Amino acid sequence: MTLHLDTSTGKTIGVARIEGRLDATNSGTLLQKFPEWLEQTNDFVFDCSALSFIDSSGLGAIVGCLRKALEKNGDLRLACLDPKVSMVFELTKAKQLFSIYHDCHEALDSFNTGKQQ
Amino acid sequence: MKTLLTIRENSYAWVTSALQGLTPLLLPICNKPFVEFLVDFAVLAGSREIRLLSDGPLQEVEQYCEDGSRWGVQMSYAHIKESDDLQTIFEKNRRFCNDSKVMVIDGFVFVGYDKKNDYSDLFNSMPDGTVASCTTGSIRLFTVSESNMANNDETPVSLTPIDSVESYYDLSMHILRHESSRYVLPGYGSEPDSYVGRNVTISKSAEIIKPVSIGNNVQILAGSVIGPDAVIGSNVIIDRKSRITESIVLDNTYIGEELDVEHKMANRNTLISPQGAVSIAMEDPHLLTGIKDTARGIGNLLRTIVHALTAIVLILLLVIPFILITPILAVQGKWKSSRKTCYDHTCKGAISLPDVSIERSGPLSAIAFALSLDRLPTLFRVVGGKLSLIGNAPMAAEEKNLSPPAATPGYRPAVFSYAEAENWPVGGSDAAIVERFYAIHSNPLQDIGLTMKSLINRFHDTTTA
Repeated sequence: MTLHLDTSTGKTIGVARIEGRLDATNSGTLLQKFPEWLEQTNDFVFDCSALSFIDSSGLGAIVGCLRKALEKNGDLRLACLDPKVSMVFELTKAKQLFSIYHDCHEALDSFNTGKQQ
Repeated sequence: MKTLLTIRENSYAWVTSALQGLTPLLLPICNKPFVEFLVDFAVLAGSREIRLLSDGPLQEVEQYCEDGSRWGVQMSYAHIKESDDLQTIFEKNRRFCNDSKVMVIDGFVFVGYDKKNDYSDLFNSMPDGTVASCTTGSIRLFTVSESNMANNDETPVSLTPIDSVESYYDLSMHILRHESSRYVLPGYGSEPDSYVGRNVTISKSAEIIKPVSIGNNVQILAGSVIGPDAVIGSNVIIDRKSRITESIVLDNTYIGEELDVEHKMANRNTLISPQGAVSIAMEDPHLLTGIKDTARGIGNLLRTIVHALTAIVLILLLVIPFILITPILAVQGKWKSSRKTCYDHTCKGAISLPDVSIERSGPLSAIAFALSLDRLPTLFRVVGGKLSLIGNAPMAAEEKNLSPPAATPGYRPAVFSYAEAENWPVGGSDAAIVERFYAIHSNPLQDIGLTMKSLINRFHDTTTA
């Protein structure tokens, strides 16, 4: 889980790359890191292109991050969901909570254009 | 006429890899195994003898179809080699074919027919040759003694390949939506396009939107929405507030609470998207999981030991109050004891159990009830392994019993019932749901906790009485 700040759209957006599995063993790490990331910016894109598996703990962690971002008037948007991971979002109705984009650029642009999916 | 069904292993290899745990030839299509559709069609075409040939395993199909007497036909089974062509198959089954007209259904294909039609005259009058074909199979007619072959221009039936998850899903949905009346589908329905199997419990607040097909031993819990276009297999639990639309839930699957299964297939703990056959094996048992037969194995032995040990502890705790209180209650006429015969855990035999009722008037009888002294005599049966400590309320072995325990997976007659633990009135449909849920999902440790809950509930019951 790494974060870099993207300013290409004129706005500071935190792009976090989530890799491998996000489950009970490492979802706590995400929840621990996110408050630190929130000190740098309020808007985030989670790049899930390398996320191969998610369980309910991982899902809970991402929803927790979204809630924290919203509390600070920011947002958390998701990009590049693997079809398998996407199925878990659909099954649990979590898909309705997030704006989800096909790629990171689209997700970053959405913060400027105001278009939400 | 006779029928040869030749189904090669490589034609259904996709089932083995995509839908694990299923026997390909028994793959349910709207709650009816695939092979049964072929047998039905062969019967409509006038066959009285059917032989199933495959280079794969046939044991489970043989167990299911047996000798075919339930369809009024003679069924036999034989193995072929992967390399065997039709000529070789005929030679190997010369005695079966024996100068009569033979229909050969070749491939893992679905035959589209209409049960209202009688195909026997038509097929008997048709010349030898191909009746119908598709990319993965065909129906051909042969008369072993004749050699003139022709292609039949008019096809009375259609063939649909079942060669992928997507084609299987599409076929099931197509039959459910448009053609269910053409086939004999199991279950009953108060209206068209709704097929419901045996021992199905649907909560009052659940909604069923047709077309739907629901198998046997299914529980649909409060607030769930099933359909439109839902195929629910047998031995399935749909937990509270979940929605199943345009989806197939295969046998032995638990769907967790508040889930949305749309345009998917669920097979035990695996969720499959028919398009592209993307699948994910869930690791959260509360989301999606397989339902195991809990009546077997080491787990059951462990459960029996834990139950027996807990029963011994309870007997030691209750025996002195029992000796002191029950004689007084018996003299007062407040302790009424009789015997009842109930189904045992095998569902085949019966056990005679003490049936005690305490007239709840006065402090002594209140104490006896709160301490569950009426259950003490049956606790000895737990030590002997004849009863479980907690499980299903013992079902009376009466001929008129509408829901025999044989139809209830994991039935375990017990001293305390799971419904008591969760404070549901014993014997109601809600209690049946609770008992079924725990019969499948509880473990020995949970059982101890639930027994304690039952004991506490009885204490509260007394104080509020």
